[in-house]
Amino acid sequence: MAINVPAETIAEVSLAPARRAWIAAAIKFTRQRPIGALGAAIILVMAAVASLAGVLAPYDPLATDYGGMLAPPSATHWLGTDAFGRDVLSRIVYGSRTALLVGFGASVLGATLGVFVGVASAYFGGRVDLLVQRVMDIFLSFPLIVLALAVVVILGTGVLNVTLAIMVPMIPRCALVVRSSALAIREMPYVEAARAAGFGHARIIFRHMLPNVMAPYLIMLTAFLGQAILLEASLSFLGLGVQEPTAAWGLMLRGAAVEFAEAAPWMALFPGLAISLGVFGFSLFGDSLRDALDPKLRTL
Amino acid sequence: MGKYILKRFLLMIPTLLGVAVLVFVLLRVVPGDVVELRFMSGEGQFADPQMLAMERAKVGLDKPMWKQFLDWMWGIVRLDLGVSMWTGAPITEEIKLRFALSLQLAIMATVVATLLAIPLGILAALKQDTWVDYTVRVFSIAGLAMPSFWLGILMILGFLVIFKWLPPMVYTPLWVNPWQNLAQLIWPALAVGYRYSAVATRMTRSAMLEVLREDYIRTARAKGLWTKLILTRHALKNAMLPVLTVIALEFAFLLGGLVVTEQVFNLNGLGMLFVQAISHRDYTLTQSLVLLVAFVFIFVNFLMDLLYGRLDPRIRYR
Repeated sequence: MAINVPAETIAEVSLAPARRAWIAAAIKFTRQRPIGALGAAIILVMAAVASLAGVLAPYDPLATDYGGMLAPPSATHWLGTDAFGRDVLSRIVYGSRTALLVGFGASVLGATLGVFVGVASAYFGGRVDLLVQRVMDIFLSFPLIVLALAVVVILGTGVLNVTLAIMVPMIPRCALVVRSSALAIREMPYVEAARAAGFGHARIIFRHMLPNVMAPYLIMLTAFLGQAILLEASLSFLGLGVQEPTAAWGLMLRGAAVEFAEAAPWMALFPGLAISLGVFGFSLFGDSLRDALDPKLRTL
Repeated sequence: MGKYILKRFLLMIPTLLGVAVLVFVLLRVVPGDVVELRFMSGEGQFADPQMLAMERAKVGLDKPMWKQFLDWMWGIVRLDLGVSMWTGAPITEEIKLRFALSLQLAIMATVVATLLAIPLGILAALKQDTWVDYTVRVFSIAGLAMPSFWLGILMILGFLVIFKWLPPMVYTPLWVNPWQNLAQLIWPALAVGYRYSAVATRMTRSAMLEVLREDYIRTARAKGLWTKLILTRHALKNAMLPVLTVIALEFAFLLGGLVVTEQVFNLNGLGMLFVQAISHRDYTLTQSLVLLVAFVFIFVNFLMDLLYGRLDPRIRYR
């Protein structure tokens, strides 16, 4: 009699506990780490704003209106207009896309490349490890922004190049942390067994070591996210990042925002608030994640 | 011990050499050079190739790359950094005043960061998972999230609107007029120090938490020792080591890494010099500047290593 159960019911039955487990996990996280949950909420809002920018923004972020330049916040322009008469709120809404794009792009690329370098360095050990460590030391002795600036000057400005420039200084930082975890994993019996079974280097690295350094990888990734957004804002503020007329938060703080800071403070105030809130959300979340996954891990 | 110091000291050389090679090559990958920038502004039709070649020879760009590199290295050995390709002034002169400014700002910011981080970190650790802990963490993460250049804009704006006053915008060395100097530098120091206190606060908190769980703390408590004494004599002393490292490394980065903050407060420090030099394609100045910043970082690292042995007798040097 139970033979003719419709397929949908089976799917529903098997899905329900999984969904409930998700909700339960979310509730547990909120209860144990209210700070992390606050961060997650900010991130979700930011992601929603970025994906719904077309619906949420009251104006075209690029539309100039020379009749309404530097207008103070009002019913028509909630956060005022900038020196070109562009709506500040719309530019902030669209700017979240730039921030998330560069932030995620740079941190995912940087952390992923860093993981490969770190794991390979630990796995091969010996001379390879020594050489890789020296090269990483060299990269680590530059301040973050100096290295990013140098890469931007070589590659030129624009969203893609800025993403690459922010990625570069992240690689050695991630590699360093992952390597120390991977060194311990290399000595695990299962890695030894895999080696004894005659598996190739690539298989051992990908199948046996990489999955076990996911915790430090995730920690570094979330820790980078906020910093990457901040670094993008800094580069754009210097005029070496995302270029006009693209909507980007750091760019909105540049030039006229400083010149007219006294007459039109909304130009400097709101984009800065957006940067702070975005980075704040990612940092809160990253901080709690780090505490949850590995409180002893020390990362800068 | 002496042998260890020497070994660690000599190990700095390959890293610095690597930095030198890296920055040297990177700079020459950048499109354009100093001569092109100076004489071909705009379309560049007016420049006569013969004259360009002559100008290149003047700044030494006609020599083969390896020769340029060796010249630079040989100069460093003799403590002579050469002249700037853009201004023609000796690089030591270009760097000297700006280094004084950056060093002072870095020291002031580090003091601000330390004064914030250590008490707050201890407080958060003692009250772990209470609202005090949460407030401290939110406060310090907020500092990490606010771009210091935005904080700078807000500060200047606040002074203007509320006090109708602006901090001095022209740098006066400390030895010329200390008040004028501090009136200018205290604001960026506060903005940057708050930002950099975040990592140190976190480190203080986690180091304290770790130490407070140690057996000897429990023993001290069990024998009825004062809580105050346990904290200062037993816990703090052992927790400070990693905190010290973090603060020292941040200090090293602050020296050359305040590119954006310097811009906002109109400070002519090393960061600003770096941006100017690289946009002029001033190879000689940029490479020496980067090497200097990297050297400070590596040297501080080296000092920390030595200090570790002093402070923690468990660490033995080979």
